[in-house]
Amino acid sequence: MQSSADNERRRRFDRIVAVLYKDMYRYAAWLSRDPSVAEEVVQEALLRAWKSLHALRDDAAAKPWLLTIVRRENARFFERKRLDTVDIDGLTPAQSAMLAEKDDSEVRDVREAIFRLDNDYREPLVLQVLMGHSTKEIAELMGLKQGAVLTRLHRARLKLKTVIDEMAV
Amino acid sequence: MDSNDYNEIIETITADPSAPVDVSALSAEEVAGVEAHRAEMRALDETISRALSIDVPELAMPELTDIDTEDEDVVHMPVGNKRRFSTPAWIGIAASIAIAAVLGVRFLDEPTVYPSLAAEVVAHLDHEPRALTVTSTPVAERSLINVVSKSGAEIDGDVGLITYAKSCVINGKTVPHLVIQGKLGPITLLLMPDERVDGAVPLTGKSINGVILPVGAGSIAIIGEREENLSEIEQRVADSVTWSI
Repeated sequence: MQSSADNERRRRFDRIVAVLYKDMYRYAAWLSRDPSVAEEVVQEALLRAWKSLHALRDDAAAKPWLLTIVRRENARFFERKRLDTVDIDGLTPAQSAMLAEKDDSEVRDVREAIFRLDNDYREPLVLQVLMGHSTKEIAELMGLKQGAVLTRLHRARLKLKTVIDEMAV
Repeated sequence: MDSNDYNEIIETITADPSAPVDVSALSAEEVAGVEAHRAEMRALDETISRALSIDVPELAMPELTDIDTEDEDVVHMPVGNKRRFSTPAWIGIAASIAIAAVLGVRFLDEPTVYPSLAAEVVAHLDHEPRALTVTSTPVAERSLINVVSKSGAEIDGDVGLITYAKSCVINGKTVPHLVIQGKLGPITLLLMPDERVDGAVPLTGKSINGVILPVGAGSIAIIGEREENLSEIEQRVADSVTWSI
């Protein structure tokens, strides 16, 4: 029979995941560029987060904590599988579905441009624009100096701006 | 007007459209240019945000196994590892370390005799499972200073994010046991100013990989998860630690 402490622990975990699951999935999807990989990575991350929940001392820090776990599970996944780099011209159906956007061709084109960005540029952009992290938080999460994060963000935006400007021509 | 100020401000806003900037040294025309650029970058970010907001499948929560105090010993192992607490991290280590002899003489009330420094270092990981935690919370500075200063070691900030610090006993001597966060998980550092090794001593196991590095008159043990690439970390740690006595 579960104790009240176990039940409370489970409720706490469910609350955190309910709020942050979408962020976990989207972060995993943009790191891996593969929705099927992202699902597997998120499953592993949820297990690891459950087992390490005692390490989360403040629920206000749950988002960077969970995203750190996702990041590491993604790295483990790729280490284990030794996958080749993504071939933009040879996408799986799941990857094509990820890029598809029925109603807005600009979004579709920008999505594809983000997909083509190097990992080093794509990841900090996702963390800043989608996850709302500051450059300091991104630096901690990625294990970089803040200056390096700023440089990568600068380059990522310039690359995407070029794509959008070309679309407008 | 210094075009460098203007260009630097433009670069800052390109990297972070919400960044505050000091425009006091700029001309009115340049200030207008900065604001136009900021608006352009914010509009770009709206488009990027829409592009990044891909559909998310329904959450399928995995089966969350119950945690008991014994299972906490394996909480920090890589997911998918079927080992249980009865198979500590150091089982499977290179044949040169006589694990069978250690098991044979290990009794609850007697001090454990290890055949080598390497064996004791790796066995120590099983004694502190809570050190092997995924976290982005740094250890309290006071605790870190307390632990490190006792040992005669000095460590600078470039070693990485330190999330755990405790004084532990290795080979009868009190040493700092620190943990930094690597790419794949926690990395254990044991700073041993009085343990001289003649060359790097590799540490391998089913779920770990590491090394004892000679550093001056002492040595540092660095142990991470099996797939963690430690070569860059080894250099960083060796550059960041000095012995003050």
